[in-house]
Amino acid sequence: MSDEIIDRSRPGEIEKRAVKAITEADTVDALEEERIRYLGRKGEITELLRSVGRMPVEERPALGNIINNVKRRIEELLETRLEQLASEVQEEVPFPGDPTLPGRSGWQGGPHILHKVLRDVKRIFFGMGYSLAEGPDVELDYYNFEALNFPPDHPSRDLQDTFYINRDILLRTQTSPVQVRYMEKHEPPLRIISPGRVYRNESPDPSHASEFYQMEGLYVDTDVSLGDLRNDVTFFIRSFFGMDAKVRFRPHFFPFPEPSAEVDMSCFGCKGSGCQICGKAGWIEIMGAGMVHPHVFRYAGYDPDAYTGFAFGMGIERIAMLKYGIDDIRRFLANDLRFLRQFWTESWAGVVE
Amino acid sequence: MGGGGGMKVSLNWLKRYVEIDEDVDLLADDLSMFGLNVEEVTNLAPDFSGIVFGKVLEVQRHPKADRLSLCTVDAGSGEPLRIVCGAANVRPGLGVPVAVHGAVLPGGFKIKRTKIRGEVSEGMICSEKELMIGEDAEGIMELDFEETPGTSLEGRLGTSDYILDIEVTPNRPDLLSHIGVAREIAALYRRPLGEPERLELAAGSTFDLSVEDGADCPRYTAAFVEDVTIGPSSEWLKNLLTAAGVKPVNNIVDITNFVLMEMGQPLHAFDLDTLRRETIVVRRARKGEDLRTLDGITRELDREILVIADGERPVALAGVMGGSDTEIREGTRRILLESAMFEPRLVRRAKERFRLETEASYRFEREGDIGITLQALERACFLIRELGAGRPVPQYAESLADPGSIGERTVALRTKQANRVMGTHLTSGEIVSLLGRLALGATASGNNVTVSVPTFRRDLREEIDLIEEVARVYGYDNIGRESSSRGTVFATVSPADIRNERICAYLASRSFAEVVTSSFMDPEDPVKFGWGETDPRCRPIEIANPLTAAQSVLRTSLVPGLLGVIQRNSPTEQEGMRIFEYGKTFLRAQSGSGLPNEELHVAAALARKADPLQWIEQQRRVDYFDMKGELEALLDRLGVSTDVRMLPTENDNHPFVYKWVVKGRQLAEGGRIPRHVTGRYGIETPVYYFDLLIDALPVSARGELGYSRTSPYPLVKRDLCLVAGERVAFADIQNVIVRSTKYLESIRLFDYYTGGHLGESKRSYTFRLSFRSKEGTLADSDVDREIEKILSDLNRELQVTLRR
Repeated sequence: MSDEIIDRSRPGEIEKRAVKAITEADTVDALEEERIRYLGRKGEITELLRSVGRMPVEERPALGNIINNVKRRIEELLETRLEQLASEVQEEVPFPGDPTLPGRSGWQGGPHILHKVLRDVKRIFFGMGYSLAEGPDVELDYYNFEALNFPPDHPSRDLQDTFYINRDILLRTQTSPVQVRYMEKHEPPLRIISPGRVYRNESPDPSHASEFYQMEGLYVDTDVSLGDLRNDVTFFIRSFFGMDAKVRFRPHFFPFPEPSAEVDMSCFGCKGSGCQICGKAGWIEIMGAGMVHPHVFRYAGYDPDAYTGFAFGMGIERIAMLKYGIDDIRRFLANDLRFLRQFWTESWAGVVE
Repeated sequence: MGGGGGMKVSLNWLKRYVEIDEDVDLLADDLSMFGLNVEEVTNLAPDFSGIVFGKVLEVQRHPKADRLSLCTVDAGSGEPLRIVCGAANVRPGLGVPVAVHGAVLPGGFKIKRTKIRGEVSEGMICSEKELMIGEDAEGIMELDFEETPGTSLEGRLGTSDYILDIEVTPNRPDLLSHIGVAREIAALYRRPLGEPERLELAAGSTFDLSVEDGADCPRYTAAFVEDVTIGPSSEWLKNLLTAAGVKPVNNIVDITNFVLMEMGQPLHAFDLDTLRRETIVVRRARKGEDLRTLDGITRELDREILVIADGERPVALAGVMGGSDTEIREGTRRILLESAMFEPRLVRRAKERFRLETEASYRFEREGDIGITLQALERACFLIRELGAGRPVPQYAESLADPGSIGERTVALRTKQANRVMGTHLTSGEIVSLLGRLALGATASGNNVTVSVPTFRRDLREEIDLIEEVARVYGYDNIGRESSSRGTVFATVSPADIRNERICAYLASRSFAEVVTSSFMDPEDPVKFGWGETDPRCRPIEIANPLTAAQSVLRTSLVPGLLGVIQRNSPTEQEGMRIFEYGKTFLRAQSGSGLPNEELHVAAALARKADPLQWIEQQRRVDYFDMKGELEALLDRLGVSTDVRMLPTENDNHPFVYKWVVKGRQLAEGGRIPRHVTGRYGIETPVYYFDLLIDALPVSARGELGYSRTSPYPLVKRDLCLVAGERVAFADIQNVIVRSTKYLESIRLFDYYTGGHLGESKRSYTFRLSFRSKEGTLADSDVDREIEKILSDLNRELQVTLRR
C-alpha cells in the first residue's frame, strides 16, 4: 500500500455503505459476502485499521477508536441481520391465502361482577376522601352487637338471624364491627368505608342470601350533620347510578344510628313513574343511614358532646342487581361462567361525548 | 302475626280516632315518609264489575223446570231483561244485584247471555255468596236501598275497607295498635286525636292478688265481670276484627282482642269459677309443674318460666298464653280480666323455649306500655257493658312495683345540639311545636327544651332520641340543602388493597375467570381432599347453628370451592377452564381472643385444554408447566421470584404437589390434584392448581419501583450444553450459574432431554446465556472466564459437566 494519508471521513463513508448493503442482503450467503467485503482479512475496515500504523503517532489512538467503533457496529448489525435471515429461513410460513381467517386466540378471563362493583364503589368513596378499613368475618358478639347498641336478649337482634360459633363468637351480620374496632384505635376526625362479607342465617331465595357483601361508611368530626350525610349519600348514588337520580330519606329505626333513615332513589327504569324494577313505587330502597348514636361513641371512648358523626350501609349484591338487572342474588355465588362472562366487556356508559 | 315485624291496621278502624280524608295510597306514601313504612295496601271491597241495581218486574214459572223462575228485570238497559233464576225468594218489586252480560264476578267468572233449559237468560241475579260479600247462598240478595235501575253497585256492597300493612321496628311497640298509628297520623296531618270511651274503675278490690317479684312483673291489674252472657259479638266488632286479621270467637274474647288491637295492651280473661282458689299469684313456676295451654299442648315448667297461678297451680304462661282449664267457655258466668306488664326477657325466654309466638308475647317482649294497663281494663269494661256481655264490678285490683314507673319521664334537649346533629337552624319554640304534634309535652327555656315523655313512648330515653323525632316531624327532605361536607379528612391509600386488586386484575388479564365462592365448606371436604392429619386445614371451625350439613364449617382452603365451580361448569365448558378466587380462609388460632386466623389467599385452577380449538395450532392438554408458568410469572410480578425456594410437600396422598417457600414461610402450594380427589368431586379430567397465601408475601417485596440505567454495550451470547445426574435439579443448576457469574444478563433453558444415548440416569440441559457489562464492551476473554467459573462451580458442587 502507498503512504497515502487516511481521509478522516472514510470510516463514516464505509459504515454508511456497509449498513445499506447489510440491510439489503436477503440471503445468508449474500450477507457472508458483505462480511468479507468489510471485515474479511482484506476487507475495507481491516485495511483501514492496518493503515492507522502509518499515521502520525499522536493521531493514531483517536483514529483507531473511531474505526474500532465502526467495526463493532458493523459486527452487531451483521449478527442481528443473520438472526433475522435465519429465523425467516426456519419458519417459512407461507402467507395464508385468506387474510380473513381468525387470528390466534387464547382463553379469556375477567373479574367477577361482585368484585368489579365493589371496586367501582370503593373508588367513588376514595375520591370523596374516605379511607379503607377492614376487619374479621368471624367476630366477637361484643363488636357485632353490644358495642353497636344491640342489648342482649333484645328483639332488635331478631332482625338479623345470626350464625354462631359459640356464645361469644359469631359470623358478623354487618360490617359495622369494623367501625367500632377502628374507632377504638383512632381519634376523630375519621372518614372510612368498610366493605366485606357478612352472614345471615336465612334460607336463600331470589332476594336473600346467607352470605353477601356489605359496605358501610362512617364519618366522625366535630360538626358532622344529617345534612352532610344527605350530601355524601346523594353524591355516591348519582356517581354510581347516574347524575339524574333523585334521592329521598325515609325515617326508619336502626339500633345503631339515630336519627336514622332508609335511603330511596328514584327508579332508573321509569324515572319515578312506576315499573317492574321498583314494584310500581317509583322509588328503590338503596341503603340504611343515620347519625351515630351517642352510646356507640361512649363505647368507643369518644365524648358524645364533642363529636357527631354519620354512618350508612348498603348491600353490594343489591346495588349490582339493580344496576345490571340481575334477577336472583344466588347467581353471584353460583359462578356459572356463562353468567360471569357477561360482565367482562369493558363499558364506558356515561362517558360524555 | 309472627316475628315479621308488621301491624295490619284497618282504615275504617283508624277513622274512629282521627279524621282521614286522604286517598289511601297518598296516606300510605305519607306514612312511609313519616317513618311508618307501609309495605302493602289491601282493598277489602269485593272485586266485581258490571253488577248493577235491578228491579224485579215479573216472575213466571219456567215451563220445563219446577224450581226455576223466568223473571223480567229492569236493569236500566231500556228493554227489561229476561233472566232465569233458581232462588225461592225472588218476587216482583224486589231490588236486586244483577250481573248483566259481560259482568265479572269475584273470582273472575264472566257472565254471558245463555239458554237455560231452553229459555234465554240475559244475566244473573246474584246471591251474597256469589258476590263474595257473605255466606248466604240460599237465595238472591235483597237490597235494602232504592237506586235507579242500571246504577253500578261497585263500592256499594259488602265491606268497604283498606288494610295497611305497616312495618314496625322493635323500638316502636306503640305502633302495634290502631291508636298508636292514629296518633302518628294526627301528628302527620296536624289533626286532633280522639280517645276511646272507657268505664272508669276505682281501686279497692279485695281480691287476693300478689306478685312474687316486682322485677318479673312490674304491674298487674285485674278487673272483674259478673252475670256474663257468652254469645256472638255485634257485626261492627266482628267486621273490624276480621279486617285486622283476627278471627271472631265470642263476645268476651272478641272484646279482649279488640282492646289488644286498639290500644296494644294484651288482655287475658280467666273464667273466675274455674280458679281453684280465688287468688292470683304471679310467680316463677316450680320444677315439676306443668300447664296445658289453650292450644292443647302440655308444657313442662321450671324456675325460668314466669306463670300466673291460682294459689294451687299455674293457670297461664305470663304474657304468652292462657291455660285451657281456665279459659272462657259457653257457660262462663264470672270472669277476671288481666291487664299486666311482664319483664320482656322472661316473655322472650318462654316464647323461645316453647316456640310459641302470640300477639301477646310479641308485644310484651317489646316492652309494652306500663301506663295503660288500667285504661285497657276500663276500655274492655266499657265495651262489655255497652254490648251487654256482662256487668263489670266497679273496683279493680292492682299490684304496682314502682308507682313512679307509670308517670311521665322528663328528657332534656339542647336546641344547639339538635341543630348541630341535623344541620338545621331551628329555634327552641319551633322544636317545642314539632314535638307537640307527637303528643309530647315540651317547654322551651332559652337553648334548652324540656320534654315530658308519656309511657307509650318508652323508646325516647335521651336527647338523641328526641332529636330523631324532631328531624322526622320536621321532615328529612327539608334538611341538608344548605349543608356541605367539609374537606377535613383526607383519604389514605391502603397499599395492601391496591396490591390485592392488582393481583386480581393481573390474573384476569392472564385469562383467568374470577369466581367468588362460599365461606362455608362441607366438613367432608378435608376427607375428600386427603390433607394429612396434622394439616390445620383438617380442623375447620364449626358453626353451632348451620343452615345445612354441607355448609356447617368455615372453609380452610379455597381449592375445594374451585373444584366445585369446575364440576358445576363442566357440562357447558367442555373445552377448558381457567379460574381463580381471591378470598379468606379460616384456621383455628392457637391462642388469643378466640377468633380464628383469617388468611387472605388467591388460588387458581386450570383444567382440560391449554388453548381453545383453532385452525392454526394443535390443541394441547393443560399440564403442570402451564400452572407453574402462571405461578412463576405472578411471583415475578410480586417481586419475590428470586427469594423463593421450591420444596416437595410431605403428603403422600398428593405426590405432584409442591410448595414454594420464602424466608422459611410457605408462600404457595401447587401442582396436580390427584385423580382420586378430582374423582370425588365428579371431575374426570386432571386439574392443576396453585394457592398463594397473600399474607405471606414479604413486606420488603412491596418496595417502591425504581430505575436502573440500561447498559449501552453489546450483548454476548453463549450456548451451554450440560449433563447432570438425575438427583440434580434444574433449579440447583440455575442457582449455581446465576451465583457464579458477574455479567450474566439472562438465562434461558431451551433444550432438555433425558435417556437415549445419555443413559437412564443422566439428563441433558441446554442453556442460552447472555452476558453484558454496564462498564464496557465485553471481550471474548471476559466471557470465557465467566464460562470457566460456571463450569468449575457446577462440577465441584453438583458434578455437572459439559456435554461433549
